[in-house]
Amino acid sequence: MSLQILINGLALGSVYALIATGFSLVFNVLKFSNFAYGAMMTCGAFFGYFLSAANGWGLVPTLLVAMVSGAVLGLLGQVIAFQRILNNNSSPIYFFVSSITLGTLLEGFVTLKVGANFYNYPRFFESSTFKIGSVIISKSDAMMFVLSAIALLLLAYVIKYTRIGRALRSVSFNRDNASLMGINVTMIIRLTFMVSGALAGLSGVFLGINYTLYPTLGSLVVKGFIASVIGGLGSLSGAVIGAVLLGMMETFLIHLIGSGYAPVVTFLIMLVFLLVRPRGIAGSNVQEKA
Amino acid sequence: MCKGKKFSVVVMLIVLTASVLAFAAGSKEAAASEIVIGSVQDITGPTSSLGKMVDSGARLAIDEVNAKGGVNGKTIRIITYDTKGDVNEAINAFTRAVTTDKVSALIGPPVANIALALAPISERYSVPFLNLAIDPKVQIKADGTPYKNMFGMQPSADQQGSIMAQYAIEKRGFGKFGIIYNESNAYAVSLLAPFVDTVKANGKTVAVTTSYTANDKDFKTLLNNILQAGVDAIYSPGYTQELILITQQARAMGFKGALIYGLDAGPPFNNLLGESADNIYFINNIDTTEPHLEAITKSVKATQNIDVTNKFFLGYDIGNILVQALGAVGSDSVAIRDYVENLKGYQGLTGVITMDAKTHFPLGLEMVMHTYEGTTPVVLERYSASY
Amino acid sequence: MALLISILTSTLITLIAVIGIYILTGMTGLFSLGQASFMAIGAYTSGLLVVKWGLPFPLACLIAIFLAVLVGWIVGLPTVRLRRDYISLVTLGFGEAITAILNRATPLTGGAAGFVGIPPYTSFTLVLVSAVIIIAAVAMFKVSKFGRQCSALRGDELAARAVGINVPWIKMTAFLFSVAVTAYSGCLYAFYTTYVDPSIFGWRKSADWVIMVFFGGSGSLTGAVLATFILSGLPEILRFLADYRSIFYAALVLLIINFKPSGLLGSWELTPKNLRKLARDISLFMKKGGKNA
Repeated sequence: MSLQILINGLALGSVYALIATGFSLVFNVLKFSNFAYGAMMTCGAFFGYFLSAANGWGLVPTLLVAMVSGAVLGLLGQVIAFQRILNNNSSPIYFFVSSITLGTLLEGFVTLKVGANFYNYPRFFESSTFKIGSVIISKSDAMMFVLSAIALLLLAYVIKYTRIGRALRSVSFNRDNASLMGINVTMIIRLTFMVSGALAGLSGVFLGINYTLYPTLGSLVVKGFIASVIGGLGSLSGAVIGAVLLGMMETFLIHLIGSGYAPVVTFLIMLVFLLVRPRGIAGSNVQEKA
Repeated sequence: MCKGKKFSVVVMLIVLTASVLAFAAGSKEAAASEIVIGSVQDITGPTSSLGKMVDSGARLAIDEVNAKGGVNGKTIRIITYDTKGDVNEAINAFTRAVTTDKVSALIGPPVANIALALAPISERYSVPFLNLAIDPKVQIKADGTPYKNMFGMQPSADQQGSIMAQYAIEKRGFGKFGIIYNESNAYAVSLLAPFVDTVKANGKTVAVTTSYTANDKDFKTLLNNILQAGVDAIYSPGYTQELILITQQARAMGFKGALIYGLDAGPPFNNLLGESADNIYFINNIDTTEPHLEAITKSVKATQNIDVTNKFFLGYDIGNILVQALGAVGSDSVAIRDYVENLKGYQGLTGVITMDAKTHFPLGLEMVMHTYEGTTPVVLERYSASY
Repeated sequence: MALLISILTSTLITLIAVIGIYILTGMTGLFSLGQASFMAIGAYTSGLLVVKWGLPFPLACLIAIFLAVLVGWIVGLPTVRLRRDYISLVTLGFGEAITAILNRATPLTGGAAGFVGIPPYTSFTLVLVSAVIIIAAVAMFKVSKFGRQCSALRGDELAARAVGINVPWIKMTAFLFSVAVTAYSGCLYAFYTTYVDPSIFGWRKSADWVIMVFFGGSGSLTGAVLATFILSGLPEILRFLADYRSIFYAALVLLIINFKPSGLLGSWELTPKNLRKLARDISLFMKKGGKNA
């Protein structure tokens, strides 16, 4: 019984983890919260639907299409909304305002396209669940968990062990220094946005499969924000841990006290976390830059 | 700095000119050969799919009449006002419609929150507001008398909730219910109490009542609590997307019992579900299997690429009732209001509409209980909604 | 005329809320995504006190503001010592929590169906007078010692700390001041629309207000006022665009942020001195323009 809740929590947490990572990636490099991320997920989900799933393509092509279009959208968003702010070396708050507006813009386009209709992904699996002992596991949850884990491990590997990853970390540490070391900062930032966009596309499709398609699908991004605060802003591993923890916590709260007051308790836990361990679980040290 | 100021001055000038133009354009009197009606709907925002559906239905009705030459030689123009699902926007939209555009009548949203906010304001004017909110508080004041301009054009939540409970108990013999509802959705909340009251009045039990909020998408843990209680049926009034998730997740967890849903489980729910919709019972304004309605569904899909829902037909009926009123009493809004209040036996797609002057809800309008066989809707039982 | 009054009243109520954000974002560089929740606290508390307990409107407003400030203090406590981003994300979580409470406490708040039957006490005159008084107060604050400390903190928190400014204390004071103003706008809102429901006060609303402050020029109170009028008037003017309305709006804001990052006015303020200078510039500009033509 309680094992079942644990599994449900883990499934929820893995969705949050994917959201929180894509969001944290941009934060890590540019030190700002990309509020357009929710709308990017929505767009990714709809691109996957219209370009692929609606044509009867399978799950893998749909995921690829969503990731590619998410990456393109991420790049476009960077060029349209953030490049000039970067050039001007403005304070992070401009990124924030720009990202929220970009989100509104993207959501506006989605609403225009989908209008009054409802959409849902076709079923990618024959039967929807399997059983291990008395525990029921939904196939889409399991797939989501595995694919999220693969994507996140891959990302961690790239960041930790490749040249591009080193460059990314160096840009994240200090843009000017990185530039002096001969790193093409703009290229790295664009790459970050593309990877973040691809992750948005991936999580968008997952959300779409699990939760149906609608223009405000991306509002789930709020959970990603909260997860990254618990995990420690800007830390990728922290975001993942925070997300899984949030998913588990919510599921247990819902089981114990119902869904109604769950956000209140989540918020209180977040406050306590900030009082006791203000840098988050991962304890990454993001200093305010002047 | 100086450049900045110039820039700002230019922007200010542009905005000022634009606003003057907008006001001038807005206050243009309707041409003599034209009657204007307004449609206040959520065109953007979270409930945009509902608002657009009502709007499209009403527009189809008006377009059909205009194609035949209009009413008494006048064409009808319909103006849509977007509320963005925001109360403040809705008040401005409403005020613009009645004071600046001087509409003869208004078509309102199926969303109670917007209609609740507009009800007290509508008292200040004399323009009838034909809406689809099912919460009785929208049409009836705290003292029990109706708002003079507010008219609900489908059976109220009290009627719909009790019909669903009656059907489940009398025709299906269910005795133990579990309820899962969206507590941040006014529509779902308004359908909760009537159902529970009817169940209790019949000596049956509601074993578990559990609720979720707008951002919840994973209902497995909540459903688990219901399934543990071993219920005959799960009642869930909610919007289409939520009902799809609840069905998928409840079935995946091995629940074989009945699911009782409100209006939003009507088609295209069956096509979106992606699996068999057996053992689902839902209430609907229309008999979806009627050939005439099927023909409209097909033609709208072909011409406008819209998968119509019951909201479309409700909008279509309101459009046509207004057309009939305009034909009978002309474009005077007070006369239209009186006409709608005394409407008797109007044969619409959603049934025979007779307005109850005491409650401002239709009297005895039929609701149809449906189920699905696989994904094909099947009509079970007609209920006359008596107040 | 009714339309104009209606638009102006709602714009001025928004203006007061935006001024609240200006105190926080414009003066200290912090931003809150749960600011609308303080509006909710103001609206619901004052509404409940008047409708259920029959308190007079002004007293109800005072109690509502006091309660909001108290809650704001609790929210601010763990965050003012942290990096600026935290306050925005924590207030976001706070907003979710407030919405949940309002939805849950049905007997008191009416739940999702909303709180009906608030008397329409908010008149255009009241809103106008309130707005003028609040703007004057904030303008005075801006040039006070406190205001100067705020802008030192906005420019460089580390440096501000180094010269002995009590940074957490300044942040908290500014935050609570902004909460009080926003809560008051909530009182006005409730007694204007006569109806409130929990969905009105989401984080999108707070974000809209921050956008207005930036649009006008993050350092300029005059800019905030101007931007509120432009941006809340704009959607109303753009009604004819129907579906394209929010797209057009977003595109315009993006253009301004990208091509004129200091906003419409930068940190320019409408003072008698600046006004005279502006008049001189304009006349110069006209003369030059005349020559060129």
